[in-house]
Amino acid sequence: MNSLIKEIKDSIGENDDLLFTEQQLKDLSVVLFGLNSLIDLGPTIKQLEQLGQKNYSNKEKQKQISQLGEIKRNAGEITSLLLDGKLMIAPSPNADFVVSVDPVPVKLNRAIDQITNENTMLGPFVSFNEDSLTNIGVMRKHVVSEKIRVKHFLTGTHNKKELSLIYYEGIVEENLLQTVLKDIKRNSINDLHSIQDVTKMLGITPYSIVPRVKTTEMPSEAAQSLLNGKVILFLDGLPFALILPSVFADMFFLESDKNLTYPLMVSLRSLRIAGTLIALIFPGLYVALVAVNPEVLRLELALSIAQSREGVPYPAFIEIIIMLVVLELIMEASVRLPKSIGPTITMVGGIILGQAAVEAQLVSNLLVIVLAATTIANSTVVGVQNLLSIRLLKYIVLIFSSVFGVLGILAGVFFICAYLAGVSSLGVPYLNFKQSKGDGSHG
Amino acid sequence: MDRSLQVVMMYILTHLGLIFFLYPANIIESTDQGHWIPISLGIIIHIAFVLLYLKGLSFFPGRNIITIYSSFGKVYLILFLLPVFLYFISAAIIIVRAYSEILTIIFLANTPLWALMALLLFIPLFLSIQGVQAIFRTGILVSFLFLPFLLFVLIVSFQNVDVSYLYPIWNNDFSFITKQSYINSFFAISGGFLFLGFVQPEISFQRKKIVIAFAAVIPAFILSVYIPLLTFGKATAETFVFPFVLALDTIALSWIMFDRATVFFLLSLITFIMLFITLVLWKASIIIHHSFPSIKTGYIVAALTIVIYIACLLIPNWQQVQMLFKWNSVLRFYVLFTVPLSICFLGHLSKKKVY
Amino acid sequence: MLKKIILFSVLPFLIFPLSGCWDNRDINHRVMPISIGVSKMDEGYKVFLQIPEPAPDRLGTRIVTGEGETINQIIDNISVNMESAVDLLHVKVIVVDKRLAEEGLNDLISGFIRSRDVSAKAVIAICDDDIDQFFQSMENSEGQEGTILLDYFEKYSGWDPHIALSRVWEVYRSSHSYTRDVAIPMLKRGQTTFLEIVGSAVIKNGKLVEVISSDETLLYNAFKNKSTRGKIEVLDQASVMVISNDTDYKTEFTDQTPSLQTTFNFSVMILETNGNPSAQEIKKNLEELLLDRYKALVVKLKTSEADILGIGQHFRKEIPRKDLKNWRSDYYPNLEFNPIIHVDIQNYGNLKHTAN
Repeated sequence: MNSLIKEIKDSIGENDDLLFTEQQLKDLSVVLFGLNSLIDLGPTIKQLEQLGQKNYSNKEKQKQISQLGEIKRNAGEITSLLLDGKLMIAPSPNADFVVSVDPVPVKLNRAIDQITNENTMLGPFVSFNEDSLTNIGVMRKHVVSEKIRVKHFLTGTHNKKELSLIYYEGIVEENLLQTVLKDIKRNSINDLHSIQDVTKMLGITPYSIVPRVKTTEMPSEAAQSLLNGKVILFLDGLPFALILPSVFADMFFLESDKNLTYPLMVSLRSLRIAGTLIALIFPGLYVALVAVNPEVLRLELALSIAQSREGVPYPAFIEIIIMLVVLELIMEASVRLPKSIGPTITMVGGIILGQAAVEAQLVSNLLVIVLAATTIANSTVVGVQNLLSIRLLKYIVLIFSSVFGVLGILAGVFFICAYLAGVSSLGVPYLNFKQSKGDGSHG
Repeated sequence: MDRSLQVVMMYILTHLGLIFFLYPANIIESTDQGHWIPISLGIIIHIAFVLLYLKGLSFFPGRNIITIYSSFGKVYLILFLLPVFLYFISAAIIIVRAYSEILTIIFLANTPLWALMALLLFIPLFLSIQGVQAIFRTGILVSFLFLPFLLFVLIVSFQNVDVSYLYPIWNNDFSFITKQSYINSFFAISGGFLFLGFVQPEISFQRKKIVIAFAAVIPAFILSVYIPLLTFGKATAETFVFPFVLALDTIALSWIMFDRATVFFLLSLITFIMLFITLVLWKASIIIHHSFPSIKTGYIVAALTIVIYIACLLIPNWQQVQMLFKWNSVLRFYVLFTVPLSICFLGHLSKKKVY
Repeated sequence: MLKKIILFSVLPFLIFPLSGCWDNRDINHRVMPISIGVSKMDEGYKVFLQIPEPAPDRLGTRIVTGEGETINQIIDNISVNMESAVDLLHVKVIVVDKRLAEEGLNDLISGFIRSRDVSAKAVIAICDDDIDQFFQSMENSEGQEGTILLDYFEKYSGWDPHIALSRVWEVYRSSHSYTRDVAIPMLKRGQTTFLEIVGSAVIKNGKLVEVISSDETLLYNAFKNKSTRGKIEVLDQASVMVISNDTDYKTEFTDQTPSLQTTFNFSVMILETNGNPSAQEIKKNLEELLLDRYKALVVKLKTSEADILGIGQHFRKEIPRKDLKNWRSDYYPNLEFNPIIHVDIQNYGNLKHTAN
């Protein structure tokens, strides 16, 4: 009859953090086991002892224990509960059942913190953290409604993770919800580590330049998405909400804009749109005007550009590619580096790009201005993922314009429009102009 | 779901692309004075047939003309759809070839034709493979990006206008109807609206809303002819191959950082033409797909593109393009007249059957 | 899947930019002349290109010349011989010599319009001087900005209502139009300034037929409703500055005779006075001065049958198109021209006007 506990020991017994101890709760001896990396043992035992104060007979005590929590008899289930941080109580080492109890957990999560990667001027500064239950709690604070539905799914075979789905009953796009539910259930054996895994689980192609899943660490953003009929996923361990589906408007519209008055909000949003266009077009425009269609430039500008390019040894396209790569490297490096050396890179990069390269006549000084404008404009886009998409998409315009000049710019922009128009995830097109409702297309 | 806005925008964009390059020269050449007469005649025919077409389509809610024709039998399919298909292919060839030639004449003198034609076909190919809804969504996005600019250029194009060139207003001479140049002008009038019959049921729209599109397209017809006429006068304007382009060349805007700012206008029209080619490719591909349902539309579009590209490469010069315009006019009028009429007729027929 | 294939087929496009494409030359490898001079030789043309040369802290000028049968051939030859290719895209001023203008500009102008290389907005001017020396002096003169000719005609820098500004497209239009001719400025080298305006050449059907003075050019500009602001008129008793002007027309067409009544309104400001004339006197004298000048101008134009004022435009309503063709010879000489000049003294500057 000791097979149950033996079975458990067999499956995870090799872990040194597996606690397996006989404990005297007053006059009742029980077996406690759990992962001590997840359980704060001292307080937990104290808590248990408070329950067992009265003097019960042996049988009564056994009954009393079983009332502490749920009775579990399946070894596999018990294992996953253990991994989840539950404490198991068995009345004796060879009992055929154990009782799963919520212990006092070890504090593994940081407290709810300020947002770090997305900044907002006006709006709540609370951010999500790595614990999905906390996140759900935060969400419930933001949308106080009995219509909010939360569903938990345990996913993975080798790596059990909890995936939570939140939606707003009645507002949520029914098709979308059903597709998501179906996909999650069908692929619940997938191991989820990253957003890529989540998108694969939902059957969304990973070969996409634009983000198919909007990520945010701002609960206010997530809350508004719920009200717009989207669904939110929380994956344990990822400190942000995954909002499905991501649409074009997410690139420019931030919910906290609505804390401003209407004209300010509109102008701020148009500024972001203009920034995106500048970031897409400027590098291409430089190449087009310098190499293919100089007649479009004003004479004075043309002469000064010609003057500043005098002595630059390579064609404009190569020139801009070299500088863009350097710029991308600096940006990436400043993310990677610890905060203490970050400024050094910025300074060195600034000097190299701003001054030395021009003075050594490796690039023209107009190019430096163009690149600076591009980088600044690029940063106005909302969301880290969108920022990266725009950074990549500008090369399409650049390539087209180096071949076809100004026509190439427009063709490149058209091509990007065409690409975006063709993207749709979970039946909702990326270019969903009416924000609240999709239309169940299969584009 | 109602997608009237997308349909209206597509209608406007494709027509703008078709109007501004070839149409003005055709009209200016067709008559000496009173150019508004041929223009209005064209517009009236255009509106009449579009309304007729829409009326006919309204008898078959949620169906496109392919399913309508095929429900009446193979004869109709061959009689009407085959010419339509041929018209699409020839129109695509002419447009790709003509517009790449236009581009080399007015803008990219050094760029080889094959590269321009590849560009004009590659992007439409990419877009049309993604399906009709993507095409229409692109239309919306493109119109948001480029239409404001277009509007601006149209306003400043009045800079050098001299109103006296309006006179003489009346013309008793109606011989323009038989002139080849006037017949060619129907390329802009008849080519763009057939898509209305293809988009259902994927994209449904309200017939009333198409009237909004007229409101945008009619001024374009008029301005494209009258801006060069009022800038240069008839005697000068008729010497140009692209009068509107030259009229834009005369605009001096000293406060814009670009010298020839109007090229952006011309080139955004080129993107509208890409949209038009996309539509044509897509329409042709679904006609084939209907006949051979086993082949994927994507492969059909790819094959059509290659055929069109090769055909374009085989046309050596502008003279030949003009010839093609001439040959194409037979198909053009056949399609312009028979498709709306037949749809309307079949609509009445099926209505009677019901009762 | 096919979508992916198409997407990846973009990659070959990468080859173009890397392999140097076709004729896409960078801006610093193009020679961009600002002005081009054309003179007629006994056989063919001689072309002068004024090329700005970037020098440290200023723009110098370099003059390149070539001779040949056609303009394009000459440009091509120059291109071959120069270190970079010549690109006419930025030509802003076209200077032709008087002889060429007398023989006719039509071929030259339609060549420019046809190729669309030279902007249709380029200004055209006539050099009433030896064009060789005209261009040579541009190269030699120290301290000259390379854009001198351009600046001279730019509305926001050197232009003045004395100069008849005509663009290439206007000249082209005039050579085809039935009812409209064009005046183009005539220049020569100045004594102390680099340029000196001689007056304006009246071009009829592309040929120079008459020369009008710069005072008359002012009236021409006023007639065209161009601003003559800032122009100073000197009378016996005073000098005044034109502040604004506008022109109204009234046309009549009786018995095949066109008549045009034009009302010019000038607002002026008094700058200097000589003695103590009354406002009425100044006004009357100025009106008379301008009226006489106008009449003289119209007589001159009628005899040469050149309608630079575009009077024929106002009769398009009345004259059928086939007769309009002969406007210059049949109707224009009979034109009754009744100018009314109205001068308004807008203010007297800082000083009170005490005389009456």
